[in-house]
Amino acid sequence: MAEVFLVDVSKSYDQGKSWVLKNVNLSIADGEFVAFVGPSGCGKSTLLRMICGLEEITKGDLSIGDERVNDMPPNERKVGMVFQSYALYPHMTVRENMAFGLKLAKADKKTVDQRVDEAARILQLEPLLDRKPKAMSGGQRQRVAIGRSIVQEPRVFLFDEPLSNLDVSLRVQMRQELARLHRRLKTTSIYVTHDQVEAMTLADKVVVLSPLAEGAESNLEQVGAPLELYHHPRNIFVAGFIGSPKMNFFDGTLLEGGEEYSRVRLNSGSEISVAVNAVSGKAGDKVVLGIRPQDIHLVESQGNAIEGTVSALERLGTESFIYFAHPDIHESLTVRVEDSKARHEGDVLTLKLPAENCHLFDADGLAFRRTRVTDF
Amino acid sequence: MAMVQPRNLKYRVWATRIFLILFILMIMLPFLMIISVSFRTGNFATGSLIPENPTLEHWSLAFGIPWTNADGSISLPPFPVLTWLWNSIKIAVISSTLILMLSTTGAYAFARFRFRFREHMLTAMMIFQMFPAVLALVAIYSIFNTLGNYVPWLGLDTHGAVVIASLGGVTLHIWLIKGYFESIDGSLEEAAAIDGATPWQAFRYVLLPLSVPILAVVFILAFIASVGEYPVASVLLQDVDKLTLAVGSRQYLNPQNYLWGDFAAASVLSGLPITLVFLLSQRWIVGGLTAGGVKG
Amino acid sequence: MSDVVLGSGTNRIGNGLKWALVAAINLLLLYGVTLMYAQGEMAFALLVLIITATANWVFLSSKAYSYRYVFPALVGVLVFVVFPLIYTVNIAFTNYSSTNLLSLQRVKEIHLAKTYETGGGSYGFSLYQNGESYQLNLQGKGDNKHSYTTEDFYLMGAEGLDAIQVTTLDDSSQPVGDKLAIKELIKLRQGLKKVQITLPDGTGLAMTGLRSFGAIAPVYLAGDNDTLIDSRSSAVLTPDHTTGFYIDERGERLSPGFTVYTGWDNFIRVTTDEGVQEPFLKIFVWTVSFSALTVVFTLAVGLLMACLMQWEPLKGNGVYRLFLILPYAVPAFISILIFRGLFNQNFGEINMVLNALFGLRPEWFSDEGLARSMLLIVNTWLGYPYMMILCMGLLKAIPDDLYEASAIDGAGPVDNLMRITLPMIIKPLTSLLIASFAFNFNNFVLVELLTGGGPDMIGATTPAGSTDLLVSYTYRIAFGQYGQDFGLASAIATIIFLMVGVISWLNLRATKKLQES
Repeated sequence: MAEVFLVDVSKSYDQGKSWVLKNVNLSIADGEFVAFVGPSGCGKSTLLRMICGLEEITKGDLSIGDERVNDMPPNERKVGMVFQSYALYPHMTVRENMAFGLKLAKADKKTVDQRVDEAARILQLEPLLDRKPKAMSGGQRQRVAIGRSIVQEPRVFLFDEPLSNLDVSLRVQMRQELARLHRRLKTTSIYVTHDQVEAMTLADKVVVLSPLAEGAESNLEQVGAPLELYHHPRNIFVAGFIGSPKMNFFDGTLLEGGEEYSRVRLNSGSEISVAVNAVSGKAGDKVVLGIRPQDIHLVESQGNAIEGTVSALERLGTESFIYFAHPDIHESLTVRVEDSKARHEGDVLTLKLPAENCHLFDADGLAFRRTRVTDF
Repeated sequence: MAMVQPRNLKYRVWATRIFLILFILMIMLPFLMIISVSFRTGNFATGSLIPENPTLEHWSLAFGIPWTNADGSISLPPFPVLTWLWNSIKIAVISSTLILMLSTTGAYAFARFRFRFREHMLTAMMIFQMFPAVLALVAIYSIFNTLGNYVPWLGLDTHGAVVIASLGGVTLHIWLIKGYFESIDGSLEEAAAIDGATPWQAFRYVLLPLSVPILAVVFILAFIASVGEYPVASVLLQDVDKLTLAVGSRQYLNPQNYLWGDFAAASVLSGLPITLVFLLSQRWIVGGLTAGGVKG
Repeated sequence: MSDVVLGSGTNRIGNGLKWALVAAINLLLLYGVTLMYAQGEMAFALLVLIITATANWVFLSSKAYSYRYVFPALVGVLVFVVFPLIYTVNIAFTNYSSTNLLSLQRVKEIHLAKTYETGGGSYGFSLYQNGESYQLNLQGKGDNKHSYTTEDFYLMGAEGLDAIQVTTLDDSSQPVGDKLAIKELIKLRQGLKKVQITLPDGTGLAMTGLRSFGAIAPVYLAGDNDTLIDSRSSAVLTPDHTTGFYIDERGERLSPGFTVYTGWDNFIRVTTDEGVQEPFLKIFVWTVSFSALTVVFTLAVGLLMACLMQWEPLKGNGVYRLFLILPYAVPAFISILIFRGLFNQNFGEINMVLNALFGLRPEWFSDEGLARSMLLIVNTWLGYPYMMILCMGLLKAIPDDLYEASAIDGAGPVDNLMRITLPMIIKPLTSLLIASFAFNFNNFVLVELLTGGGPDMIGATTPAGSTDLLVSYTYRIAFGQYGQDFGLASAIATIIFLMVGVISWLNLRATKKLQES
């Protein structure tokens, strides 16, 4: 078990002409469960592979525990890794798969047996120990892959999208098992996923990465506890990435930046009050207003509301999604409601945007601090 | 295709069968004849496919046992066929093993590592491989003539020289094995690396055991190529007792000393084990050849 | 595993051992390099030096880790393919042949070692053996009544060219040991030839016959600038560096000659000398047609058989396949020699059958057209199973539903072959066909074992036959029974290298294009 520190870690495949990852700074405490999320191409898997030594670190320092491990080959780093494809050795039984690393380390037979049996017990693999990977289901293989890293007693567990090859129901079950396992072993864990639900439910701390934009200093967008990311996204990217369905964004101008409430005029003319501290902004600044689909209310009310034309409907039983065409939004505006009132395409409805639920971002995409977060 | 077939299919199938059987008979004719010749009396005997007066004369000589003729004279075996067979097998086993080792490690690096000149090396090796050894025999002769001055067991007229000379022919095998390695998930070796394996251990304990089928194919192909190798061995080997089968067999059909019957028995005797090895492993070879061929 | 962080364990004792071993191997190899250099084997000394140096870098530098795996294979290719190639190209620019085999230095030594009998006295001799050492007793012949006994000398280790210098003892001393019979003398004659006896008056004696020693003197004396001076006529012989022979004032050549660089001479011979150029062109045309026809025939038979093997209604085709593959399974050299016997004009089975049926006895080995047809027949027989195997693999990859669709469209077997099968397999097959072409272009074993190149062409100054391929033609020039012209052979080999290089380069490009599309 150990802390992991990344200082200005960067990766380039062409000697610095272009970068895949740039200036990632991160500290992971002992025993913490950290998830890397981001859209594909953001370099999250590359970052993980750099931590375990499968990719070289172009620039920056990586330390595990107290040692700098940049130049240490993977076999000496004492980390465990679970691959997306499981990467079980097809020619070995489950027992041999799990014992492989220990045998390489020349552990005596008693230790090997003891540790393998222990891992098999934790993961309920005991009846499968003499099977070959070919003769097992996806979930069982997944467990063997986890078992294989457990027996090594690594300082850090690394997971590379471990559940993406499983079907939905199994994924939920394995997610819970992983959470239980971490509570039990308390080993520092780093988990890469593109599925934000996995990240939010499993991790103590979520790291959001974005594909490196031209001229950007870093592609590390935000680090924080899951709900912090949800309620206080640092910028538009995180706000749009975390939460499903996606947050709606309106272009507008700042009318007045207050300490508790600020006022914004949307491009279509509506004036909206937003519960953010925008004193740093000047009147007339371009801003973006964000609000999550479930926070918009379809009520007949005056003030803090806009009008929209229904363009499409999806009724799922307990909830419905209504899509509106709105001049301030390029894509359609999504609203989630929990009733099943009859509505039709072409209906013009009034949408209330509660000030307490609105987010506001400046021209650079950085968020203004929200002041009235109720449910956090 | 379990389709409804036209009604005249039956006749077509029979016609095809008869055609195939006739074709196979034609293909087999040389073999049937050579077996027949090996049982005929004397070296110039003619006759029907089934010999009228079968004799074991040639077979006895092929096995190296002197044969007492009907008139009491004794024929001595003209050539040490079994020694040649043994030489061929010995050289083939050793050189195939070495070729397998070299091409497996080489293919591993080409399949899994990225290093400078990788593409250039592969292309250059492919082109160089096309040059027939026959054309460079003067140089090869010269190499072993020189080498023999410093390392006697690698000089001219040694089996060591023939084995070592075959090591130039690894390129095609490297391509074949490389293609197979590339079809194996690379994350297996990454998992091994994280399990604490060095690249060599990952290669030895994970990749190699998974590649046994292709290694068998390469071994057999190298073995067959080595047994049939003629030009290099014919230049390097001189002593009658050191010849390989490919070089030695030719001496039977010298216009001055035409031993047709003896050759027949000797060729059946020596060709049989090699043919059997091939036929027993044909399933693998066919798979290997087509896979390697299709991949280029 | 791209960019894997590589490294090696740090095992102290292992490291010490490793360094000791590396040092020992290096010392041994460097010693070998020095020896080769001292012997004047520049090319080999350089080759070993380069290999030793790169081996050190590859196995000691952690940066070169990836190269460790490729290195042994690369050395194999380098030493046995690339180096011979460069060596051959180099020879192409020399007059290296059986008449000009050695370096100037060695040829000079041979000339200097030539002696003639001066008539200064002839002696009969008897040889005495005492353990490992020998003594000679010389008895003057004719008027010469002197007799001498030599000191002990050894004949062991007399493989070199160095003379064994022996002086005589006092007149009174007698040899010790057993007198050897003439049979033993014959066995020892190579050693005895090197014995040079110096008589007390300074006359040199050497063996002049199996029973006699005589006074001898060298024919040539060394002059300045590698010239030789005939000690009898005082004529001066100078080395001619354009022809590679010693010549006297009248331009007469003295054999053996030495190896010199002759520039493009060999290539010019190939292109202009009619005795070389004409057979070369004929053989080139035949080589190309032979390879092309072989590819066409083997492909035709192989594809037909592959289609039949894949045909659903033919159950039990495993047995058919086994028999059809047989020509490929039997080692080619055996099959070729069997055909050589079967096609024999007088006692071959094929002519016997033809004679019985049609009263024909074709001269398979002496008629140009028949010999060439025979070569093609045998090569088709040998080569179709390989094509069949390849085609079977490719046919399997064609999805069945294509044929089902064509059946609904009312297509027959011929339509299927031309419209579906061929277009589907021709692309992956192209590179294999080019490879097969290149292989048959160099199909030395077939020609060498079946016809030996014969029947011979008339009017060629080099041994050339009408079934010769370029490779066997080259082989016969280099290793034939009538004078070995390595220089010319290498020039032709160089030309073939270039042609084959172009073929394989085209092949690689075709393969690459295929993979891209």
